[in-house]
Amino acid sequence: MILRALRSCYSVLLLLAAWELFARSGMVPRTLLPPVSLVLQRTAIALATDTFVADLATTLFRLLAGLALAVGLGIALGVISAQTRAGRAIFEPLVRVLGPLPKIALFPVLLLTLGFDNTPRIVLVLIDAIFPVMLAAHYAARAVDEKLIWSARAAGTSPTGCVLRVILPAAMPQILTGIRVAAVIACVVVFLSEMVQPGDGLGDQMIRAARAFRSVDMFVPIVVISGLGFILDTLLALVRRRALGWAG
Amino acid sequence: MIRFGPLIVLAALLALWQAAGMAMRVETLPTPLAVLPELWALFASGEIWGDLRASLYRLAAGFVLALATGVPLGILCGRSAAVRGFVSPLLALFYPVPKAALIPILMLWLGAGDLSKITIIYLSVTLPIVYHGQQGAAAVEEKLVWSARAMGTGRAGVLLRIILPASLPELLLGVRVAIVIGLIVMISSEMIVRQNGLGYDIFNAMDMAQYRLTYAVIVVVAVLGFVLDATFERLRRRLTFWAPERQDQLPTGA
Amino acid sequence: MIRLDRVSKTYTRAGGGEPVRALSEISADIADGAFVTIVGPSGCGKSTLLYIVGGFVPASGGAVLVEGKPIAGPGPDRGPVFQEFALFPWKTVRQNIRFGLAEQNVPRAEADRRVDELLDLVHLRQYAALYPKELSGGMKQRVAIARTLAYRPRTLLMDEPFGALDAHTRAKLQDELLQIWERERKTVLFITHGVDEAVYLSDRILVMSAAPGAIKADIAVDLPRPRRREELLRHPRYQELVIEIGRMMDTTA
Repeated sequence: MILRALRSCYSVLLLLAAWELFARSGMVPRTLLPPVSLVLQRTAIALATDTFVADLATTLFRLLAGLALAVGLGIALGVISAQTRAGRAIFEPLVRVLGPLPKIALFPVLLLTLGFDNTPRIVLVLIDAIFPVMLAAHYAARAVDEKLIWSARAAGTSPTGCVLRVILPAAMPQILTGIRVAAVIACVVVFLSEMVQPGDGLGDQMIRAARAFRSVDMFVPIVVISGLGFILDTLLALVRRRALGWAG
Repeated sequence: MIRFGPLIVLAALLALWQAAGMAMRVETLPTPLAVLPELWALFASGEIWGDLRASLYRLAAGFVLALATGVPLGILCGRSAAVRGFVSPLLALFYPVPKAALIPILMLWLGAGDLSKITIIYLSVTLPIVYHGQQGAAAVEEKLVWSARAMGTGRAGVLLRIILPASLPELLLGVRVAIVIGLIVMISSEMIVRQNGLGYDIFNAMDMAQYRLTYAVIVVVAVLGFVLDATFERLRRRLTFWAPERQDQLPTGA
Repeated sequence: MIRLDRVSKTYTRAGGGEPVRALSEISADIADGAFVTIVGPSGCGKSTLLYIVGGFVPASGGAVLVEGKPIAGPGPDRGPVFQEFALFPWKTVRQNIRFGLAEQNVPRAEADRRVDELLDLVHLRQYAALYPKELSGGMKQRVAIARTLAYRPRTLLMDEPFGALDAHTRAKLQDELLQIWERERKTVLFITHGVDEAVYLSDRILVMSAAPGAIKADIAVDLPRPRRREELLRHPRYQELVIEIGRMMDTTA
């Protein structure tokens, strides 16, 4: 089992080995490229350090709060807008205008209007992560086979009941895929917000390390936030497989 | 009606902003009408052009490199299990990494100039291009390939004249995602490094309490995003008019 | 009784232009307990007509009256069975059949009993815990029929229910449907383009022509019941009807 898992990602192992050898070969100074073993060792130490864990907790809070809001609002807005002709007419142009806008550019606005603490970062995560959820919910809700809805309506289900008990479950596989994308976006965005406007959190750790030219410590926050993204993504994939075994 | 949809939405958003600005009456949230002269001055004085050019140059350079390497790699991934077995674990490894956050490290390696910024854009936009290229190439109907082979098309010909065009719709969706991601990475890396570029301008203006200028540059970024996406979308539709339109593909990215 | 009173349907095309007349002033009375089939070439609007009777699609003109009252949308008195099965993929066989009962707040114990009854009726007892994706087409359609029968509609609206099945399964399900119908005597409004299927099942056949959809002939099927396939296939009247209606379809297509 383990052997097969290792063989399936041999390229990753090769890459890590090459990094390690190259860093140890003396061809590059350690300050530019520390060996991967050192980075991982330092990551382990950091994860046992109170200050680092406090920053991790701060980041995690912002990330999860923003993501939870994005999921809740995204599903609600996406599904509800799909129910009326007006909602469908507004949805696409709205997304065409707001979708390509790099939301991080709005971060200064959020800082100016919401203060410099958690709120602007949570809102930034929200406005970035909401798009994949909302898009998935909207188009999945629109694509629900009308005969499923008719079957329920004939059995006496009200239009609201149809939304909750037919459209929502039918759209759930796509919505969960959207949430997976949103989770990774949320990790990236919260980290960037902490780098752009440092103060605390993992991104702040990165900036502090960069300013002090502590190169190993620059890799550590990146490894941790990427690991967080990977874990969230894997958990959501697990949820999808568990809860949505019915989907083909 | 459909054509003017985005314009109507834009007008509504501006009206909303105007109303919010008028209701809040604070310096940190100027109304669009107050920002407009600032925007005019930006272009009239020529101040913005340098930064706009700097930003766009990096974006374009990173993009061209990404297309040149990502498209062939993606197609190969889609058609060869061996290549896929090598590349996809690496894609999965880099997928959750905040690419723009690598900019301080890349600056250590490549210096503070354009090279590090182009590299960061290249790294982040290659990923969706390879991924979608692979999806597209893997989904090509096998019978299309058989038909071509039966008519005497060689292996290279199949790749170039069958697989590439057949995977184009999916590939171009990837490019569209990549454009949005490229913009995000461009702006955020400029915000982190603070040397020049639009991302720098936004924060610089904010730090100097020139709030109207902050908003003016944000407007420029927003318009840039919309124009790039809309222009590419027209091109995409023209190139793949023959493919069934997939509605659920609208731009977002990290 | 269900009365179609000059039911019309026109569509406006998305790109503008002339509206398309899909159904033109269709009138008919469907007697209680009758098995009535509508046949017609594809595109004649026969499914649309069924959807209008179901209340799923609004008519552009005219009315559908059930017991003299115009319908206002779908209702549990008219239960649909679709060619595409339309099972809820996130529910098991048992949960699918239970759906309508839950929607009507039937007490738990009673609903369970009813579901068991239906599982037996459609021979799916041992598959009750499976999800739709694990079933064959024939099994899926049995579940769909059971799901609709569960809430005891007075009328079954069947939209080419066996159209997606292979010939062998189709014949089997036709026989099962007839058995159920003999026992429960529900009104059935059945859509098909298979003339032999129509003659085999029905008391009465409405033949439709296309563009715009209109009823071209109203034929009483004077064949003995209960029907047995082998006897029927040899019955001269059966053969006559199949040939006669087949000819009509050719000239309307």
